[in-house]
Amino acid sequence: MVGQQGVRYTISLIATHFGDVVAKVCECLIRRGSLSFMEVVRFTELHKGQVKDCLLVLIQHNCVQAFSIPKTVGMGGATKPVTLYMAIFDNIIHRMRFSKFLQIVKEHLGNQCAELLEGFLQHGRLTFELLYDRASGLSGGKAKRDDVLATFNKLVHAHYLERCPKGDPFLESDANDEVSFVRKRTRSGEKTWTIEQEAIIAAAPSDADRFSGILNLMMDTEADIKHIKNDSSLEVSAGNKRKHEALEAEEEIQNTINTIDVLWRANYEKFVQCLKKKTCVANVRSRFGLDAAIVLEAMIESSDHQNARTMNSVSSSMSSIIESVRGKPGGLSMTLEHVRTILEQLECQVCTEETGALYTVGLKDIIENCQNDEVESLVFKKYGKESYRIFRLLIKMGQLVPMDQISDKTFLEKKEAQKILCKLWKDDYLDMEKVNLNVRGRSEVFLWKVNKKVLWELVLNDMFHTALNISQKIAQVNEEFLLSNADVQKLERLRRARLILESSLLKLDDAIMLFHDF
Amino acid sequence: MQNISAVIMMSGTGKLPQKRKVPALPENEKKLYDLIWSKETLGIWTADMKKETGLSNNAVTKALKSLQSKGFIKDVVNIHNKAKKIYMAVEFEPSKEISGGTWYSEGSLDLEFITILREQCRLHVERLKVATLENVWQFIRDSKVFYIDFSLQQIKEIMSAMVLDKELEELISSGVGDFFHIRAGRECYRSLKGRDGPKEGFFSAVPCGVCPRINECSPDGIISPNTCVYYQKWLGLDY
Repeated sequence: MVGQQGVRYTISLIATHFGDVVAKVCECLIRRGSLSFMEVVRFTELHKGQVKDCLLVLIQHNCVQAFSIPKTVGMGGATKPVTLYMAIFDNIIHRMRFSKFLQIVKEHLGNQCAELLEGFLQHGRLTFELLYDRASGLSGGKAKRDDVLATFNKLVHAHYLERCPKGDPFLESDANDEVSFVRKRTRSGEKTWTIEQEAIIAAAPSDADRFSGILNLMMDTEADIKHIKNDSSLEVSAGNKRKHEALEAEEEIQNTINTIDVLWRANYEKFVQCLKKKTCVANVRSRFGLDAAIVLEAMIESSDHQNARTMNSVSSSMSSIIESVRGKPGGLSMTLEHVRTILEQLECQVCTEETGALYTVGLKDIIENCQNDEVESLVFKKYGKESYRIFRLLIKMGQLVPMDQISDKTFLEKKEAQKILCKLWKDDYLDMEKVNLNVRGRSEVFLWKVNKKVLWELVLNDMFHTALNISQKIAQVNEEFLLSNADVQKLERLRRARLILESSLLKLDDAIMLFHDF
Repeated sequence: MQNISAVIMMSGTGKLPQKRKVPALPENEKKLYDLIWSKETLGIWTADMKKETGLSNNAVTKALKSLQSKGFIKDVVNIHNKAKKIYMAVEFEPSKEISGGTWYSEGSLDLEFITILREQCRLHVERLKVATLENVWQFIRDSKVFYIDFSLQQIKEIMSAMVLDKELEELISSGVGDFFHIRAGRECYRSLKGRDGPKEGFFSAVPCGVCPRINECSPDGIISPNTCVYYQKWLGLDY
């Protein structure tokens, strides 16, 4: 769950990119949860036309997803489908990472691919035709259709692009017709989903469709049109039933969503996965050296995970690891024995299957290590070396620890340790429990621990607050920059300040990802 | 300092005497001495003595002075409250609860001594590149830098604190490379020289990360990024 500062930051991102009116609609959806068109109109007090345009902008940029649910009209009345709109928080936050996404593609597939991707990041959803028009326009008509298609296919096959999800998936409901965004459902008796999560799952195309590139442009377009026509005929038939009651503006949104052209968009999941890999590899490189980083990278690449959040561990056979290691610069000289030693160093679990031994490395532990580093560094800078030592001890022990034990293990005077613990507790870095004992004349014993779940949420909230502050400062510096056009020295200072702020925001985002996306 | 510490360390674990000698004493002194003796390694505070014996303030002070001059009792520092005077029979050494344990001297942490011992541990780990606890313990014994013997547990306490400070890291030996002299699977230590101490975090590098006023800061508030003095200083705009 994202805190208040996270919400404020997403709204400020939307306001910066699309203006205040779109931000108002987005804020309404984030704060109130999924709403129907009329509810958005009522809550925002905007004109229907304005709300329609805002929703279209947000859908176009993948910040909002529509879905339909059945709703009973009146007591015992007929059931009719109602379209709800939900804000996708993560996709809004990803907007601050576009430069990182472009860099990933540039490094992996080169400049041409990065230029095509830029089109998707700028416009949200595009058909191939629109993409080609853009490429052609940028190159002054020099871009060849086949070349653009080949570059586009490269991006799709590498999973950097995907087909857009269904515009308005229909969710079957049980007897309960009251819809709430916090309503939960249980699937296979194990996982519990909110209705929004169900909508995302229902909207997602199958894996085969999602990344099937355009092999033959003409054939594929025809086939796609047929396919979409079939799909949309279903939706239109559902739509027909309610046509006479639906508002005109809402119909227009539906028509735009249900376009027969195949729409493509950037696959954010893939980019987040790449960034998670990068973070894990960098952490291992700093702890175990370059060779260990090569082996870990090879292991992650040889596994086929799609989602960064569920990629908690990766497993690979020795042969795939070796094959992948050999393909990397610096990996050719690594012997089998050396790779095996590194796998042990990385504390890989080995399990024997029919096909051979599988090595599993826990990425969750590596990410946890990075998170600890981040918060520990904060404690060091904010409270000093002794507090840092105490904090690390409590993180390491992961349970309630008596005060005496803390001062003994950290080599601190009892009074000093107590003072530090109280300070950290007051600032919500620690949990404290008082136990009444009547042993050796001491009636109370204080026990301390780090409540990671609560603290991590607190830190993440402060990080979003900081991101918002930096963005505001960038805007102020830009404004000053425009006003002080005569003073060369001042201009130079402002330019340098903007550079510091922008690079800090990118680095801060790395930290946000550690706590929110990985 | 080191010598004092060493003495404390050798005898600071609250040893019990073999046999109690019963001296011939005046009534008040005997009453007090019996009470103090019965408290063994924990000792007793003067206010508690008055309460338990029912003696007057003057009588207790006089008896304590006399017992101390005769060498039957001693006063010890209580690390929980240095102003609270505690008396103990001379046959006993203060318990860990009173003295603070092996690393305390005169009721305070012997920081100078601990620093020297940490330095010796670090030197040995760096010399071997990777070392087990036993390696370091043996080295400290052989080096003769200290004239007392440390227990393995004491060295472990020091090394663990160094791990918390990120001066050393705890690893599992792979048995090859730098670890060739340590059996695979054994716990060992490596120096973090060059990358010791806390890693510079992304969040802590920004003024807001360590700002004491972050909760009062808002875009249009009195404290805001636009008016923040920390930002001006950080960005070099405080001209």
